Amino acid sequence: MKKNRIAATTVASTITLALALTACSSTGSGGTSDDASEAGGSGGTGDIRVWLVGTDTPQEARDYLKSTFEEENPGSTLTIEEQAWEGLVDKYTTALSGSDSPDLVEIGNTQAAAFTSAGAFVDLTDKYEELGGDDLLPGFVESGSYEDKFYAAPYYSGARVVVYSTDVTKDTPVPTTWDEYLANIESLSSDTVSGLWTPGKDWRNAMAFVWANGGEMATQESDGTWKGGFSSPEALEGLTQLQKVMTTENLAPADSDETDPQVPFCAGEVAYLAAPSWVRWSIAAAEDAEAPGCLSTLGAEDKLSAFAIPGQEAGSYAPVLAGGSNIAIPAKSQHQDLAYEALTIMLSDGYQEILAKNGLVPAKVSQAKFLPDDAFSQASAAAAAAAKLTPASPKWADVEASGVLEDSFVKLAQGEDPAAVAKALDAEIESTLNG
Amino acid sequence: MTVTAPAAPAAPPLAGAGPSRRARKPSPFPYALLAPALAILLVLVGWPLVNLVITSFQHFGREQAFGQPPTWAGVENYTTLLADGEFYAVLLRSFAFMVAAVATTMVLGTLLALLMMRLAKGWRTLVSVGLLLAWAIPALTSVMVWGWMFDTQYGVVNHVLTQLTGESWRGHSWLIHPLSFFLVLGLIVVWMGVPFIAFTMYAGLTQVPGEVLEAAQLDGAGARKRFFLIQVPYIRQIVIVLTVLSVIWDLRIFAQVYALQGIGGLYEKTSTLGVWIYQVGTASGDYGMSAAAAVVMVVIMLAVSFGYVRQTLKEED
Repeated sequence: MKKNRIAATTVASTITLALALTACSSTGSGGTSDDASEAGGSGGTGDIRVWLVGTDTPQEARDYLKSTFEEENPGSTLTIEEQAWEGLVDKYTTALSGSDSPDLVEIGNTQAAAFTSAGAFVDLTDKYEELGGDDLLPGFVESGSYEDKFYAAPYYSGARVVVYSTDVTKDTPVPTTWDEYLANIESLSSDTVSGLWTPGKDWRNAMAFVWANGGEMATQESDGTWKGGFSSPEALEGLTQLQKVMTTENLAPADSDETDPQVPFCAGEVAYLAAPSWVRWSIAAAEDAEAPGCLSTLGAEDKLSAFAIPGQEAGSYAPVLAGGSNIAIPAKSQHQDLAYEALTIMLSDGYQEILAKNGLVPAKVSQAKFLPDDAFSQASAAAAAAAKLTPASPKWADVEASGVLEDSFVKLAQGEDPAAVAKALDAEIESTLNG
Repeated sequence: MTVTAPAAPAAPPLAGAGPSRRARKPSPFPYALLAPALAILLVLVGWPLVNLVITSFQHFGREQAFGQPPTWAGVENYTTLLADGEFYAVLLRSFAFMVAAVATTMVLGTLLALLMMRLAKGWRTLVSVGLLLAWAIPALTSVMVWGWMFDTQYGVVNHVLTQLTGESWRGHSWLIHPLSFFLVLGLIVVWMGVPFIAFTMYAGLTQVPGEVLEAAQLDGAGARKRFFLIQVPYIRQIVIVLTVLSVIWDLRIFAQVYALQGIGGLYEKTSTLGVWIYQVGTASGDYGMSAAAAVVMVVIMLAVSFGYVRQTLKEED
């Protein structure tokens, strides 16, 4: 039975191998890490890697960073590697704790706390003045700090505004109150046009509904524990309004997310698009660009405009989620000195001026004067003044990463009872923040 | 079964002279041949596995991943895990999906293998090339392609259904309902799994001696009887190996589920074991808990495969 033995051995060894692969894939990066500060900067030359997230940073700024860095540090090179916003917290947790860490990373302002509190970034407290001091955006200095230490510098900020094209909205006046805003959404929607584009997973832009009605995501009790806020009567009012828009005045799929909104927008299927102000560059891209827009039709300069979401009272504005990024040097970077050189370039007046000219609110307050003088900038400025942040807990990033917010808003878009969805969501938020 | 301490080995016969001693002395050569493979397994599997088990007994969060010392948790992670209703829901979901996917893959793969036995050479080559192409596409790529086909707004599936039925399917979401999510996922997993099964089954079936089949046919055995009573017993070992492998592959699928969730669907209702462990650990930063879940998963996998290995070894004697 020699043949049989060979078969048996094959069975045994394949199973061992298969199990081996299982074990590999299911192991977290459990290894005990070495001394976080061992890397240190060598002061010599090196090749540093900068991780920028998404397409928000304009190409002009990228070129400026690379050429300036390589000019000032002869012999060293700088490579920009673009990351995706989806799954960023997971990715950084593994990438920044490993031995092959990038040297300078951009991170969303609401995600920064997960890493500053874990000791993942180099302490920049001593360099605060050198990097810009009180000229840096205060809210973002706060999101990059933990226990009075400064780890992640502000990079840029952007406000969420409503973008529209007069090709679709015709002569509908810009709303001045929240109720007018809702009424416009209703009257602009039709079988082929979304009054407001609300993909189910897009909780970031949908938060305006909760906040405009006076609701909160979560509040901290006097004993330090967190209490979910979606079940409050104010928040429920907002969720009910949102559900009506999602189910009757919106064509976006209930389980899709907010990526590539320029596709339906350029197809003329969107009246109002709530998005960070830099979405205009995706819409006003040429038709034959790599990521096509509609510069010659709906996205033309005289048609494309924006307004800040109005609040309950005329002249006030609804709170929107403050968007933007921080930038930090990972503690495991092998070239911390060079990374710091690159960081100073990104916070230099010249670099921040490029960001401002492209409609991003610069990290340095003094450079805001370079923002283009148009409807987008005015809307951004108004929205930014009313912008809110996510709850200030280092564990908030875990709530975002778990996908529970996406799930809950998808359920709303499917027509589930807002009270039940809100109750379950509050329970999840409380168990994560207090856990 | 009780385990007794092994008796002290009998003292080797002293200086037994002559050829008999040389014959009894075991050669170290086989062990030398095994050594490199074992060393690699120990480093790449053994060490992470040991680490995994250690982590599962610790409070291990994101701070620990960045270098702070972890604290011991005893069996807390396991008790929390086994009291968590969500874990059982995920487990049940993974097993149900695995059973359906393995059954479909095996049946389709076997049918394709039987088809290839009967095809003329030209057609057989064509089928093989088609299978190879499906097999060669990376998992992530095929999820993206299938995801686009099932896209809610601009997908070709909804478009074709609209053309065929006359009703408007535009806006029908295939991924939002868990059952149809798993239908699409099953389609992707089976589509990628069938080629390997088909090729291996085909290779096995060609080894069944023709004269035995011919004799059976002369004795009046129909195609069905010939398949179940002659071909299947001949290739039993292969069927077992393929089933065990498919069970393991379909239980630990990760990339397909993770990528498909990014396209649509609810995380809460569609996560399988691997994705859930990832979400608890890497995404939410609770490594201790996810390690405990991973240990449970390894134990389940061992149990699944152990039965088959033992049975195979038993029948060899």
